[in-house]
Amino acid sequence: MLQFSLKRLFQSILVLIVMSFLLFVLIGLMPGDPIDNMFEGNPSLTPELMARMRELYGFDQPLSLRYWHWFSAAVQGDLGYSTMYFRPVMAVLAPAVLQTAKLLGLTLLFSVPLALLLGSLAARRPNGVLDSAIGIFSFAAISLPNFWVSLLFIILFSVTLGWLPASGVPMSNDASFLEEAQHLVLPVAVLVMFHVGPLIRYVRAAMIETLSADFVRTARAKGLDERAVIVRHALRNALIPMVTVLALSFGHLFSGALVIETIFGMLGMGKMIFDAIANTDFNLALIGLLLAITVVLVSNLVADLCYALLDPRITL
Amino acid sequence: MGFVANTLRLNAEAQTAPLLSVDDLTVSFPTKGGGHNAVVTGLSYQIAQSETLGVVGESGCGKTMTSLSLMGLVPGRGRVTGRIGFEGRDLLQQSEKQWRDLRGREVAMIFQEPMTAMNPVMSVGQQIAEVLKVHEGLGQRDSLDRAIDLLKAVGIPSPAQRARDFPHQLSGGMRQRAMIAMALACRPKLLVADEPTTALDVTIQAQILDLIIELQEETGMAVQFITHNLAVVSELAHKILVMYAGRGVEYATSEQLFDQPLHPYTQGLIQTLPDPDRKVDRLHVIHGSLRVQPAQGCRFASRCPLASDECRAAEPILREVAPGHFVACVKVN
Ligand SMILES: Nc1ncnc2c1ncn2[C@@H]1O[C@H](COP(=O)(O)OP(=O)(O)OP(=O)(O)O)[C@@H](O)[C@H]1O
Ligand code: SF4
Ligand SMILES: [Mg+2]
Repeated sequence: MLQFSLKRLFQSILVLIVMSFLLFVLIGLMPGDPIDNMFEGNPSLTPELMARMRELYGFDQPLSLRYWHWFSAAVQGDLGYSTMYFRPVMAVLAPAVLQTAKLLGLTLLFSVPLALLLGSLAARRPNGVLDSAIGIFSFAAISLPNFWVSLLFIILFSVTLGWLPASGVPMSNDASFLEEAQHLVLPVAVLVMFHVGPLIRYVRAAMIETLSADFVRTARAKGLDERAVIVRHALRNALIPMVTVLALSFGHLFSGALVIETIFGMLGMGKMIFDAIANTDFNLALIGLLLAITVVLVSNLVADLCYALLDPRITL
Repeated sequence: MGFVANTLRLNAEAQTAPLLSVDDLTVSFPTKGGGHNAVVTGLSYQIAQSETLGVVGESGCGKTMTSLSLMGLVPGRGRVTGRIGFEGRDLLQQSEKQWRDLRGREVAMIFQEPMTAMNPVMSVGQQIAEVLKVHEGLGQRDSLDRAIDLLKAVGIPSPAQRARDFPHQLSGGMRQRAMIAMALACRPKLLVADEPTTALDVTIQAQILDLIIELQEETGMAVQFITHNLAVVSELAHKILVMYAGRGVEYATSEQLFDQPLHPYTQGLIQTLPDPDRKVDRLHVIHGSLRVQPAQGCRFASRCPLASDECRAAEPILREVAPGHFVACVKVN
C-alpha cells in the first residue's frame, strides 16, 4: 500500500513536470507576450524599446531555456508574478483555491450521500412510484443547464422570497461564519444538483445489479432485515464501481464550478484560470492549469486507494 | 375442557405430523400479457424430522423456486399460493417479521454457487457471525468465536485464520463448507440444499455429501436436497420427489423409486445413469426439451415413448398406486 502510494506519487510528479513543460510551450506559442500586454495601446513605444524590454525580461531567449528558468524558480517556491493582478501568483492563487475548495468540498459532502440515498431508494422497486419520482428529479438535474438553475434559484430565493443572498461571497472581508455560510447555500445547492443527477443514475444501476446478486439472496436467507441487507451487503458492493464514477465526475464538477463561480461572483479557481487565459496572464494561467491537473491526479490516486480499501480482492 | 382436549390433540398431532408439509404449492409469475405463468404447479410433499427428501428434475423444472418458497424468498413479483405447513403453522400466512425470524434460524438454505453466494467484501467469519448476531443476539467477539467453532465443525483446517479470509481466498469446496457452517449456525430444523455440489468437482462433491449426511445424523435436522443428478440423491435421500415442468410426477421412498420406477420420465432418468453392470456403449438420453409442452394433458407427452391420445386428454395428477408410492401417469395402475 505504502509502496504503491509512493510509486504513484512519483508518477504523478513526473506527469506534472511533463505537463508543465507542454503547457509552457503551448502558452509560449500563443500570439503575443506579456510585453505586448503591458504596453498595448501605448503609441509612444518604439520597437527598439520593446526589444530592449524583451531582452530585459528574457523573452528573447529560446522557450526551453525560459522553461528551465521558470522551473528552477518554481521548485524553490517562486511561482512568479501575475501580470493581471500585479501581485505574486501565490498571493492571488491561495484565496481562489480556498474558495473553490470550500465550494467543491461542501458540494461533495452533500451530493455523495444524497446520491447514495436516492439511488438506493430508487433501486428498491425499479419502475415503482418512488423510482419514477427520483428518475424525474435526476433527469431534470442532468438536463437543466446549471446557469439557468442558478438564475432560477436567485430569482426565487433571493429576489422573490428574500431568504438568501444572491452572491456567493459576503461583501465585507470580516464576515461572520454564519454570513459566509448563508452566501454559500445557493451556489452549493446548484452544484449539488448538477453533480447528483448522473450520480443517482449510476447508484441506481449499480444497486439494481447488486440487489439481484446471489450473495444478497444469501443475506436475506440469513434472516437479516431489509436495511441490513441493503446497507451492509448491497451498498458496500455497489460502492466499488461508484469509486471510478466519482473520480471521473470530478472533472465535470470542476467545469460546473467555473460557471457557478462566475454567476455567483466568487473568485474561485475556475474563474481565475478563465480570466488568466483571457488576459494572457502567463504565470497565473500556467499554475492554475497545473493545479487543476494535480486535482485530477490526486483524485485518481485517492480512487485507487479507495478501491483497495473497499475491495479485499484488490491488493496494492 | 374443550381447550385442554384441543391442546392435547394438537400436541399429539405435532408429534406425528411431519415437520414440513407442503400442500398444493403453486408459484407463478405475471406475464407481459397480464396473465400468470406458473413455474411450479400444485406441488405436495412432506418431510419428517431427520428425514432427507431428494428433489430431482432437469434444469428449469422449478426446483429452486420450490426451495425459495420455503424461505419466503421467491424473487420479483412471483406469487406463491397453497400451504406450507411447518410445525403445524402455515408459513404462507406469516408476516415479513415472522419470515425473518424463521430464515436462518429454523429453515436454512445453501445454494448452488458457493462462488457467488457469499459477499465478496465481507470476511468469511463475519458472514457466519452475522447469523448468530441476528438470531441469538451474540456480540461481536462471541459470535466470531462461535463462527470459528462452526468452521472447525465443517472440517475447515486452521479455522481461526480462514475466518479472517475473504471468500475469494477459499477454494470452491472450502467455500461450500463455509456456506454449510453459515446455514447450520443456529441449528435449523430444516436445511434446504439447492444443488450444493453441482458446481464442485467429483471428489469434493463426495466430501460435501458426506459432511451433510454426518451433520444430519448429529443434529437430526430434516434436509430437502435438490439436484438434477439422480446418482447424488440415491446416496442420501430417504424419499424422492421427481419433478417435471413444475409438477410432481413421482413421489416415493428411495428404494421404491430405484427398484420400481413407474413414471416414464423417472424410468428415463434412471436409464441415463451410467451402470457398470449394464454393457452399453452409449448413455441413454431423454429426447426432446422441457420447453416443448402440449397445451393440455400430460406435460411429458411430447417426449414420452408411451404417449397416446388418452394422455393428451387431461393432465394426470399424483395418485397413490402402492403404499407411499405416488405417480402421475395415466398408464400406471
Ligand atoms: N424472476 C423470475 N421471473 C419469471 N420467471 C422466472 C424467474 N425466475 C425463474 N423463473 C422461471 O422459473 C422456472 C423454474 O426455475 P428454477 O430456477 O426453479 O429451475 P430449477 O429447477 O432450479 O433449474 P436449475 O436446475 O437450472 O437450477 C424457469 O423456467 C425460469 O425461467
Ligand atoms: S401420462 Fe402418458 S404421456 Fe404422460 S407420462 Fe404417462 S404415458 Fe407418458
Ligand atoms: Mg436451480
